[in-house]
Amino acid sequence: MKEILKLEDISVGNEEVKILRDIEFEVKKGEIISVVGESGCGKSMTLRTIIKLLPKNLKILKGRVYFEGIDITDLDEEKMKEIRGGKISIIFQEPSSYLNPLFTIGNQIEEGIKDRIKKEEKKERVMKILKEVGLSENVYYQYPHQLSGGMQQRAMIAMSIINKPSLLLADEPTTSLDITTAFEILNLLKDLVISHNISIIFVTHDISLARFISKEMIVMYAGIIVEKGFSNLIYSNPLHPYTKKLIDCLPEKYNKGERIRTIEGEVISFKNLPNGCPFYPRCEEKKEICEGFLPKEIEIENVSVRCFKYGDFMES
Amino acid sequence: MKKFLFRLRRRNLLSYISFWIIIFLYFLAIFADFIAPYPFNKQFRDYPLCPPTKLHFFDANGNFHLRPFVYEYKLVNPALNQYEIIKEKICPIYFFVKGEKRKILALFYSDKYLFGTKEGKIFIFGTDMHGRDIFSRILYGARISLSIGVIGVSISFFLGFLIGGISGYFGGKIDNILMRLVEIFMMFPSFYLMLSLRAVFPLNLSSFQIYLLIVIILSLIGWAGLARIIRGMVLSIKEEEYVLAARALGVSTIKIIFKHIIPNTFSYSITAITLSIPGYILGESSLSLLGLGIQEPYPSWGNMLSVCIGNLRILSTAPWMLIPGFFIFLTIISFNFLGDGLRDILDPKNW
Repeated sequence: MKEILKLEDISVGNEEVKILRDIEFEVKKGEIISVVGESGCGKSMTLRTIIKLLPKNLKILKGRVYFEGIDITDLDEEKMKEIRGGKISIIFQEPSSYLNPLFTIGNQIEEGIKDRIKKEEKKERVMKILKEVGLSENVYYQYPHQLSGGMQQRAMIAMSIINKPSLLLADEPTTSLDITTAFEILNLLKDLVISHNISIIFVTHDISLARFISKEMIVMYAGIIVEKGFSNLIYSNPLHPYTKKLIDCLPEKYNKGERIRTIEGEVISFKNLPNGCPFYPRCEEKKEICEGFLPKEIEIENVSVRCFKYGDFMES
Repeated sequence: MKKFLFRLRRRNLLSYISFWIIIFLYFLAIFADFIAPYPFNKQFRDYPLCPPTKLHFFDANGNFHLRPFVYEYKLVNPALNQYEIIKEKICPIYFFVKGEKRKILALFYSDKYLFGTKEGKIFIFGTDMHGRDIFSRILYGARISLSIGVIGVSISFFLGFLIGGISGYFGGKIDNILMRLVEIFMMFPSFYLMLSLRAVFPLNLSSFQIYLLIVIILSLIGWAGLARIIRGMVLSIKEEEYVLAARALGVSTIKIIFKHIIPNTFSYSITAITLSIPGYILGESSLSLLGLGIQEPYPSWGNMLSVCIGNLRILSTAPWMLIPGFFIFLTIISFNFLGDGLRDILDPKNW
C-alpha cells in the first residue's frame, strides 16, 4: 500500500522549549493510525505541524513533511490554504466551540467548498454529505446550539470531508461525547475509510479506543515517540514502561472496588526537559544511563521502541 | 424583517414599541414639509408665545361639530403675552388647505398643506416668541436631530471598525501605535474637545456647512472608545476555535475576518450603535444650546430649547417652549430600549 503522509525527523519548538523531537512516522493510503498519549504530550501539536497551523511562537526546527510525495514543509501560505480543507482536513475535540454560533450548519459547510460551483449545486452537495454522515436534511437550516454534541461532531465531519480529502486528522473527536455516541462516530469514521478511501490520523488518550479503531498506533510522551507498531501487539505486549503503565490504568483491568493504579509523578514540563529519557523521573525500571542520554528507536518484533531496557542504543 | 419584528415583540415588548416610535419619528422627519401646517421660518407677528390651541368638537353652546375646530386667539396684553379666546369665532380644520408655496422633499413645489385652518391659526404646540409654530419647527428640527445621530454613528463606527479591526487582527506594532492614538483622543474630556474643535472653525458658516461640521466633530469624538472595544473583541475572537477551524479548513483571511470575526462583534456593536445615537442627538443639542450648533432660523431640537435658557419668564408663562425637550427624551429612551431588545435577540441562542 502506498504511503500518503510521511513525517521525517520532525522537531518543533523555539529557543526555549522543544515541543516535538524526532517525530517520524508514515500514514498509508486508506488506513487509520492512532496517536496515543497523555494530555500535553504533543499529539495535537503533531497534527498542527502537518497542516502548518502552529501557534505563533512555535516553528518547525528541522525535519520534513511529505504529503502525497510532495515536500510541504516550506510551502507558502497560499498553497497551504489549498491543501487545508482540500486534501487534508481536520476535526476537533470540542465540536461546539469549533462551529461558529452565528451561522447555520449548511452555511458553514458550504463555506468550505473549494470548487467554484453554483449555489444550488453547493446546497445539493451539502445535503448529500449530511445524509452520508447520518444527519437529516433540516440540519442544514439549524444553528450549532440546536444540535446535540454527537450531531455537532457529525456536522464537523461533514464539513471536513466536503472536499473529499485524502487525509483526515481527527484530534480527539470522541473525547467530549458519551460512550455510545463516541462509538457511533468511530463507526462513521471507519465507514469513511472504506467508502472514500481516506486515511485518518486518530489522536486519542484512550489506548483501548486506539486499539479498536486502528491497525497501527503510536505512543507519545513529552514530544517523542516512545513506541510505535501494530496496535494488537502493543496492547497485548507493551514494551516501553510508559505504555505498560498506560495500559495498567485502564479500568477494565481491575476488579470491582479495587483502586486503580495511576502513573506516579507528573507529566514533565517542556520548560525543563531532562537530557535523557523524558520518562526517566517517573519510570520504575530506570537505569543509570537513562538520566543522561536519549535512547534510540530499536525494532523488536515489528514494534519500534525507545528504551534502554532493550539495549544501549543512544541518540547521537 | 418580519421574523426580526416577531422575535423582538416576543422577547421584549418595550423595545418593540420603541422600534415603532423611532420609525414614526423618522417618518415625521422625512415628510416634515408635507405634514407641518406652516413653514419653519414663517413668523406670525401677531401671535408671539401663543399657547397651544385646543381641538374642540363642541362649541360654547354645546353643539356638536363633526369637523374638529379651534377657536381664534387674540393677543390682549402684548407685555405679558396674554391671549383671549374668541369663542364666537370657530375655525374648522380642513385637510389639504391652501397656503404658502414651498418645496416638498426638495423635489416639487406645492401650496397644499396636509391640514390647517382656512381662517384663524392652528398651533398644536403653541408658538415661540417670534410667533413661529413650534409643531412645524419640531418636525423640521427632527430632520437635523435625527439624522445627525445616524450619520454620526455611521462615520464613527466605520472608523471604529476599521481602526479597531486592524489593530486587533494584526496586533504588534500597528496595534501599539493605533491604541496610543486612541488614548490621546480619549484623554480629553469629550465635551470640551467638542467645544474647542467647534471654536477652531469660523462662526459665519452656512447652515449646511455647520451641520456637516457638527456631524464630523461628533463622530471624531465618538470613534475612539469604540475602536478600543472592537480591538479587544477582535483580539479574543481571532483566538476562538471556530476561527482556527476555519483556518484549518483553508478559508481565506478576508472571509475569516468578514464572516467569522466581524459578525461575532455584532452582538455588542449593534447594541452599541443604538445606544450611542442618543449621545449624538444630545451632543448636537448641547452645541446648539450654547449657540455653537445649528443657527437660527433653522430649527433643531437643541436650539429650540436654547432660547429657554436663562429666561425664567418664558419657562413660567410659556412652558410649551420645552416640548422639543420631550422629543429629545422620547427619541433617546426609545433608542435605549431598542438597543436593549436588540442585544437580546441578536444572539441566535435566544431565538
